[in-house]
Amino acid sequence: MKKTGVSKGIRRREPVLDCLTALVMTLCVICSVTPFLYVFAMSFSSGAAITNSHVFLWPVGFNTEAYRTVLAYPHFFRAYGYTLLFAFGGTLISLVMTSLLAYPLSKTWLRGRKTVMRMVVFSMFFSGGMIPNYLLVSGLHLTGTVWAILIPFAVNQFYLIILISFFSALPSEIEEAATIDGLDYFGILLRIVLPLSKPALTTIGLYTFVFFWNNWFYPLIYLKSSQYPVMLLLRNIVNGSASASEGTARNAALSIAVKSAVILVSSLPVLLIYPFFQKSFVRGMTLGAVKG
Amino acid sequence: MNRTSRDPRDTRTVRTSFREYMGRYWQLYAIMLVPVCYFLLFKYVPMLGNILAFRRFKPLTGPYGVSWAQPPLRYFRQFMGQEGFWQAFRNTLIISVENLAVNFPFPIIFAVLFNELTSVKARRFIQTVSYMPRFISTVVVISILSQMLSPSTGAVNRLLSQVLGLPRIYYLNEPAFFRPLYILTDMWQYTGWTAIIYLSAIAGIEKDLYEAAYMDGASRFQQIFYITIPSILPTIMVMLILNIGNLMSLGYEKVLLMQTPTNMAASDIIDTYVYRLSLGASTPQYSLGTAVGLFNGTIGLVLVTGANRIARRLTGSGIY
Repeated sequence: MKKTGVSKGIRRREPVLDCLTALVMTLCVICSVTPFLYVFAMSFSSGAAITNSHVFLWPVGFNTEAYRTVLAYPHFFRAYGYTLLFAFGGTLISLVMTSLLAYPLSKTWLRGRKTVMRMVVFSMFFSGGMIPNYLLVSGLHLTGTVWAILIPFAVNQFYLIILISFFSALPSEIEEAATIDGLDYFGILLRIVLPLSKPALTTIGLYTFVFFWNNWFYPLIYLKSSQYPVMLLLRNIVNGSASASEGTARNAALSIAVKSAVILVSSLPVLLIYPFFQKSFVRGMTLGAVKG
Repeated sequence: MNRTSRDPRDTRTVRTSFREYMGRYWQLYAIMLVPVCYFLLFKYVPMLGNILAFRRFKPLTGPYGVSWAQPPLRYFRQFMGQEGFWQAFRNTLIISVENLAVNFPFPIIFAVLFNELTSVKARRFIQTVSYMPRFISTVVVISILSQMLSPSTGAVNRLLSQVLGLPRIYYLNEPAFFRPLYILTDMWQYTGWTAIIYLSAIAGIEKDLYEAAYMDGASRFQQIFYITIPSILPTIMVMLILNIGNLMSLGYEKVLLMQTPTNMAASDIIDTYVYRLSLGASTPQYSLGTAVGLFNGTIGLVLVTGANRIARRLTGSGIY
């Protein structure tokens, strides 16, 4: 969003509009940040300060007990391991499958392309509901294995369309030259198209990564509790079906600090990555907007 | 089988036979073989699986049921006779429409006002911060929400009781607060993000228009109402139509997380209703759940195709 509709030189001063803008923007910033600060403050505060409602946006009675409890929690690292596996494995599978489908579909002259495209687009509008999907996955004996998470979401139609339009925008001269040099289509895809498409692949890869990282519903219905990723662990801690603070009546306040710590530790990687890849994420949004 | 469709790089004008064509392009088909099979298996087999809505299911006998239901529409009649279904149906519609009424215009207002900012630093900062909530899981959003609303230690209750003297309430349990909280969290998560689309539309507006308006003495308010908004109107229309197409698909995730036994009257939607009938039940009623899902999916399909048709008429090109 570098270019803007307004250039500095020709602006009239307009106090009402400027105030309104400043007000709305400030409010939005405060609202966006406050919940994070609140959780941050809770996670580092002492139990007494929390029960006495002293904590708001800054830790009171600073201590790291909550984090030590989380890191000592028996299933925490296992859950984190599964999250990493789903996020990296799922993204890798998804990028491979999406590229393999997008490349042939980017050749508009290819016979049968229209049929496949129609098949893809129709499946965006209508799908088997939750139960047929569940029965398929369990019928394939995938439930209780990590493949139940990694495979069914391998191709997202929106990302596929983004990649197709990126592939078709690549100059055809490059491929021509490659053909003359004796490369076949496998070679062109592998050595030329994919390396040239790093921006698009980064974009859809990041979206897929965030999807898998934040996913909890499908692990809930497809996996055993010993395979739950960290988001599902968090949900169970928050709604009380898994207790984070060794179950004793240590006090409710500590568990609030512990929940806050889990919230932060589980979201941290994504929150740290996204500012650096902001451009890639935004590109996905504007590319997607061209199509829809 | 003679066709003329072929690689435009090939400048010869001879028609190619099927065998010749495949000889030259088989690799492209080979490349997409696995993903196409994947599509058929994971998108189209479940679609056929919807037939379960008309068939009786027996555990461990496969996903398509054992025999036709008698009468065929038995499961449809069954759920349509249940008040719980209609409650879920109404809730789905009300939540969707209210959410649309609030969270559709809000990003537009945000984008238009954001565009009035000239400081590059401020713009960058506000964008980075306003995207942040989009990247966290719904689990995290609802966890934070429930902590902030906690009657004993939450900041919201503390503030309201100390400043305004209001009683401490656990808002997540109250049916009356379910929709406002649903809409607010959506606003919190997606405003900055959705605004990207409008901002990129605004970035495409010709600068000359603003200059000409300035020469004619138009105030910036007038520039907003006579240039900015009319220029992004096509984008706004397309987004509106897309949103209307998705009216019936709220998704399980957030509602399931926000649902408590006491707020069911307001929070039960079709997706969670299906979940409770089937996967979340101790004795799953798969056929009945599939019937509800199919009913919902069909309404969704009609809405999406209708919306797309309107979009095509308005903008000259469909969304898909």
